[in-house]
Formats: sequence, C-alpha cells, structure tokens
Amino acid sequence: MSSRSKALAEAKISPLGLCAPPPLIIECDAFSGSLSTLFTVVRQHKIDLLGVPLLPICQAYFLYMLEAAGNDLESSATALVALAYLLERKAWLLLPSEAEPEMDAPLEIEPNAYEYEAAIETLQVWQAEREQLFFRSGRESGHYEMPMEIGQITPADLARAFESLLARAQPDLLERLAPPRRSLSEQMGIVFHALSSDAKALDELMVDPFTRNEAVWWFLALLELIRVGQASAEVRDGDVFFSRGKQEPKEPASI
Amino acid sequence: MAKALEAVLFAADLPASVASLAEALEVEEAEIERGLQEFGSRLAETSGLQLVKIAGGYQLCTNPIYARPVAKLLKPQKQRLSRSLLECLAVVAYRQPITLAEIDSVRGVQSDYSIRQLLERRLVREVGRRSTPGRPLLYGTTQQFLHQFAMDDLSQLPVLAEGAQLKNDDLQPMLL
Repeated sequence: MSSRSKALAEAKISPLGLCAPPPLIIECDAFSGSLSTLFTVVRQHKIDLLGVPLLPICQAYFLYMLEAAGNDLESSATALVALAYLLERKAWLLLPSEAEPEMDAPLEIEPNAYEYEAAIETLQVWQAEREQLFFRSGRESGHYEMPMEIGQITPADLARAFESLLARAQPDLLERLAPPRRSLSEQMGIVFHALSSDAKALDELMVDPFTRNEAVWWFLALLELIRVGQASAEVRDGDVFFSRGKQEPKEPASI
Repeated sequence: MAKALEAVLFAADLPASVASLAEALEVEEAEIERGLQEFGSRLAETSGLQLVKIAGGYQLCTNPIYARPVAKLLKPQKQRLSRSLLECLAVVAYRQPITLAEIDSVRGVQSDYSIRQLLERRLVREVGRRSTPGRPLLYGTTQQFLHQFAMDDLSQLPVLAEGAQLKNDDLQPMLL
C-alpha cells in the first residue's frame, strides 16, 4: 500500500468510506476524490448525485470545522459553499416531479493543491536524494559576493568606516509614507562626483546633516564603485580613505 | 574521446549539453553520445564520481555512496524547501506559465511570499506577461529547478493523480 493510500485508510471515519479532514476526501461507490472535485463533476453532470451520500460529507465537514477550521477559514468557507450547492442540487433531484430549476451561475472551484499531493511528495523525495549529490561548483558566485579584490583594505576596515558614518547620521523622518525612489546608479553618480584623486575620509566626503538612510545609500554606492574599479580605498593610521579609482565610468548615467 | 570528455566535464561548472560538448571537442554529436556512454560506464566501475544527465545536459557529481564524507568536508548549508514552498513550486511546474492569482486560486491561500522566496532561490522566474487586463506577470520554472531536483527536463515530473474517479454508473438513489 502506498503512503498515500495508507494515509487515506488511516483517515477513514465511516464505513461509507468517507475521509476527513483536511482536505475533505470522499470515497464511496460512486465517487472517489476531493470535495472540490465532486463539486466540479456534479456541476458538469458527470456523476449522478443521488449515488453520493451527502450526510457523511456534512458530518465530516462539521468534524473538520471543529478540529481545524480556525486554521484556514477561507477553505472552510469554500467547502461550505460547495456543500450548500451539492445539498441544493440533491434536494431538487429528490423531489418527485418538479423539474430542476436553473441554478444560479455557480462559482468556479479550481482543483486545490490536494491534486498535487503526489507531485509534492515526489519532489520531497527527489530533494532529499539530490542532497546526496555534490557537484564541482555547487555555489554560484554572485556579482556582489565577497571576497573581491579591494587592495590592502579589509572588510573590517570598511565596516569600521561605515559604523563611524552611521554614528554621525540623523534618524530618518517617519512622516513620509512613500519616500522617493532612487537608484543605486544615481547614488553612484553622486558619490563618484564627491570623490577626487586625493584620498579623503568619509567624514570629509559626506557633509552634515544626513540621515541613516542616506548614509546607507552612500556607503552602498561607495562599495559598488570600489567593486567596479571606479573608487579605491586605503587605510592610513587606522582610518579609511577613499579616492577615485583607475577605472573611468563608461556612461554618464553611471557616474 | 572519454578522456577529453572527462577534462571538459570536469572544468564545466554547469550541465554541458551534447551540442556544446560536440562544439568544444569538434566532433559529431553522435560521437559525443557514444563517448558519454562509455565514460559514464567507466566512472560507474572505477570512480567515486558519476556522470548524470541533469537540467538538459551532462555533469559530473559525486557518487551518493560517498555523500557522507563529502558532506562532512563541505558542510553544505541545508536548503530544503518547506512544504508550502514545494506546493507553490509544484503548481508553477505543472501549470506554467501561470499568474500569481491563478496560483492563489489553486492553493486557496496567498502565494506572494512563496513566489518571492522561489524567485530568490531562482527556482522560478518571470517568463512574460499575460495579455489580459492588468497584464499580470507569468511565472515558470528555471534550469535551477531542474538541477535542484535532479531532473533532466520537465517531462520527468510525476504524472498527477486523477482527482476524481467515477467508479460506477449504476448508482442507487440514496437519501440525504
């Protein structure tokens, strides 16, 4: 017996073959599948609803409501709508002679993730199996990944310079609900223009007052300029100094 | 041929297609296929490596028998997907190209967080926009998805179970 069939077997709560919850799985002589699938096939007149006992399904739904409905109110509501539709359809079928009236345009219920259960289980197995394989280059180097060649300076030096910059920063104003969008390339242009061939400390480069947000933008742009070779950094007497790099900007937009 | 293939596949950090191998070694694709078969068999007998067909190409990897010592050395970060991410990924894989609204509809829950996570992990990508009002983004799976689940192509996805099976047309009326 497959793990799936076993799970279904364990979940049976009625000799009629009804399983619940979640999701509500129905098993009877006439039909086997989820509630949403039953709803769909009834709507498409592919099944005689008279052959499907609805009472156990309602009981299973109430059980589901008692046990797990709080976790997923939306699917509980959808199940209720589907059940109400099925009950109304069956009630009309049980009337002796009246022709069944046209129902309101019923809502569409898409197949739910239950239909993908087998696939999800398989993917889980494959995922575990794949973890047993090691490829020569499992990790792809991202463009922004350290380490990169930045001369004699270390990331710790840069972090220290950034911390001292943040210490001077003013808190950001909170009133603005939607701060203006800015791009890193624009900020790189601003920073590049502030740099010169003479090495300067961050204290000299950034003029007070500025906010923490601006400090972060400034520093990110500076790092990016170092990465593309348009800025360089050096340490003198424990302080970090920045200057223009050897690489000239290619386009005016990137400076 | 097998030695040349070994050199090229060792140097390649991504799955190499038969066409790219044929171009690199300047031989016909049929010869590459034969060489790969021979090389794969040799590896299976004599090496701790194996040749796998993955994500549309061939790549060398360690034999799973030696997974434990290799893992002890490399200490790989576990990146196993949660069930909700797997569910979202399965829906995208089977119904791609698919919009976020359609994924939500199938799963019955909002999937924007899951999709963002899958995009970050490069398991799904934006593949275009649907030409309907709002021009919603369409999502599909990536080569990384195939690689992460050791699949060669999407046709290897398991066949979905039928949601409903009509068992008997001869139905007996039953009261509610």
